[in-house]
Amino acid sequence: MTNRKSDGWAKWGVSRRQVLQGLAAAAATTAVAGSRVVSGAAPAARSGSIVLQYQTANLTEAQYEPVWKAIIAKFEAQNPNIKVEPILVARKDHWTKFVTASKANQAPDVVSVDIATAAYNGYLRPLDDLWQAEPASYRQAWTADAIKTASWQGKFYGLPSWGGIYGEIYNKEMVKQAGLDLSKPPATWNEYLDWSKRLTREGQQWALAILAGKTDSTTRMLLMWIWSNGGEAFNADMTQATFAGNPKSLEALEFYLNLDLVHKVVAPGAASINYLEQTNLFAQQKIASMRNAYWGVAKVVGDNPAIKDKIAVAFPPMNADKKVTMATMAADSISKDCKHVEAAWKFVKFVNDREWGIRRALVSNWMPMRTDLATDPEVKKDPTLVQFLEYGTVARAYPLPHPLWADIAANDIVAATQSALLRRMSVKDAFTKLDADLNKKFKEM
Amino acid sequence: MPQAGWLGRGLRRERWLGYLFVAPMLLFLLGIIILPLAHAFVTSLYREAGVNVRFVGLQNYTRLLDDTAFWNSLRVSVVFTAACVGLHLAIGMPVALFLNTLRRGRTTIRLAFLTPWMVTPVIGAIAWVWLLDPHFGVVNHLLRSVGLIAANQVWLGEPALALWSVIAVDVWRGFPFVMLILLAGLQTVPKEEYEAASIDGAGALQRFLFVTLPHLRYLLVVATTLDVINTIRTFDIVAVMTRGGPINATEVLPVLIFNTAFQANRFGPAAAIGVILLALLLVFSSLYILVLQSERSGATAP
Repeated sequence: MTNRKSDGWAKWGVSRRQVLQGLAAAAATTAVAGSRVVSGAAPAARSGSIVLQYQTANLTEAQYEPVWKAIIAKFEAQNPNIKVEPILVARKDHWTKFVTASKANQAPDVVSVDIATAAYNGYLRPLDDLWQAEPASYRQAWTADAIKTASWQGKFYGLPSWGGIYGEIYNKEMVKQAGLDLSKPPATWNEYLDWSKRLTREGQQWALAILAGKTDSTTRMLLMWIWSNGGEAFNADMTQATFAGNPKSLEALEFYLNLDLVHKVVAPGAASINYLEQTNLFAQQKIASMRNAYWGVAKVVGDNPAIKDKIAVAFPPMNADKKVTMATMAADSISKDCKHVEAAWKFVKFVNDREWGIRRALVSNWMPMRTDLATDPEVKKDPTLVQFLEYGTVARAYPLPHPLWADIAANDIVAATQSALLRRMSVKDAFTKLDADLNKKFKEM
Repeated sequence: MPQAGWLGRGLRRERWLGYLFVAPMLLFLLGIIILPLAHAFVTSLYREAGVNVRFVGLQNYTRLLDDTAFWNSLRVSVVFTAACVGLHLAIGMPVALFLNTLRRGRTTIRLAFLTPWMVTPVIGAIAWVWLLDPHFGVVNHLLRSVGLIAANQVWLGEPALALWSVIAVDVWRGFPFVMLILLAGLQTVPKEEYEAASIDGAGALQRFLFVTLPHLRYLLVVATTLDVINTIRTFDIVAVMTRGGPINATEVLPVLIFNTAFQANRFGPAAAIGVILLALLLVFSSLYILVLQSERSGATAP
């Protein structure tokens, strides 16, 4: 028999069994606590209900807040066993937060992200089974083009929810002060340049802001200018970049960037300007125009309500016969990590109900993607909304369907734009280098 | 010798018990440090293309040799770290000397100097983004008011200005750390040595050079080494203020890792850069340990 008094733990007045039991209990407690942290289980989940996490780029933006809060409240009221947990993350951190969570197999259940990139990386669940199970009458509310834009390699990944159609937004008062007539807005590049010069008062106000900050809004602007000249940034199957390779594209880039480099009609600091800075400048009447979607109007009115009656919208200036602008599309997808697919699909469909499509359009100024809403009497009551919807008939879809899009749109193309604007290279050299860099990336894929 | 055997068994049992008690902490460290490090190294040996992952050996490392973004980032990190650490010392030392001479209100003023260090870096960086805004920022307004600049400066939109702006913000946030260490050291310098030096006719500069500095030698090395380790891994300030731009002028290595991994979805190359950054940190950590050891052996020498 062992003399317990000679054992090490006997000094503390405990037996070996007691020590081991204590350690086992501590380990079990730690494991249980750890598993709760890892699973992120909310109190509601423990009581048997389903918790869906919901993340989009704009849940933190004031113009959408009343709508998404109402959506969740009503959905939870109708589905008491489902709790929706919004993931509040700033627009610029939305993608990285999603990727981080996906890599940890903890992605939010319902998300709105760049479909091509996310699907290519395996972050999303294909929705074909759920979509095909819906009646044809329901599916007809979306155009084939919208469904195609929400697909990747033949699989459907997100229900098109809302879009942004781009126009040229002017401050009526500043235009009038410059002696210009908004009933005849600039339709050509030359007219636009002339207006820009007259709208600029050196050091005090500028015609526009060039977006060249480190987000994909920089790329959106470049593409619109390229398209407005009949150019293309990529070949048809997106295996080659043609920013400088296509003469029309290069001409457009030079015209657009020369607004800053040569004509000085652009607010200083382009390399640090993105959507937020651009709308701040417009709201504070530092710039007289901005290329933006209808949501930009809601943003500037939110920033400065006094500007509400000073806003007018026109089609962006063109240098080609065929009119074209851009329509971005956001779709609601279900992540690969979703454990409650049925509930998530139910929520996706609910978010895209007629009621919320109209609320998003009227309150947040987001274009409805359902075709049956474009002719809705409530939508037609808003003349600016109708105007943007008309532009949508000649709009090209964005983001472009490429698996590296999220990276090249927010990094490579931005770097080339900044190199040109900061005079590190000529516009031609910067975009020739960009073409080479992108083509190398595409080959290495 | 039965008693010796009994004693040996007892000692072995005690040692075993010791291991048992530290085991949870060792397991914890294994889980949060060793396994992630091993995982990062393993990740650095793979390359991902969408859902396809393939083993590429050390290719992610060899490719970095030709990667201009990596070398640019390394250069930016060196400039950023050297400038920040140098300025932390250059500002921290005189402030510490000043605080050491105070007789009244020392605690209040010390707290005031420590405030930037207590502010969460991200919060501080966001505040500075607004202060440095080219159109609405207070900094431009103040500098124009006193005639230091003629026109508004684009602090975060011009490569050189952006780098010095993030350095300035890091200096604002980081110098109190150095100041605090040096102030602690200054308070241990015997007053008699200053008195003796004064009697010998030493002026303020001579007292500083021949009394203060020798006493602070060890703390200066420790503060510098710790500050280098702390600064070379700075992410938050740069990520918030510039995200590494414009034209990658502020892309320090941690920001490059973040951009490569989470924006470009290239986790293998990002992990390789992370391993290299870790190696750099280990060099400075080893230096720190060497300094500590030499000081200890110096202290125990007869």
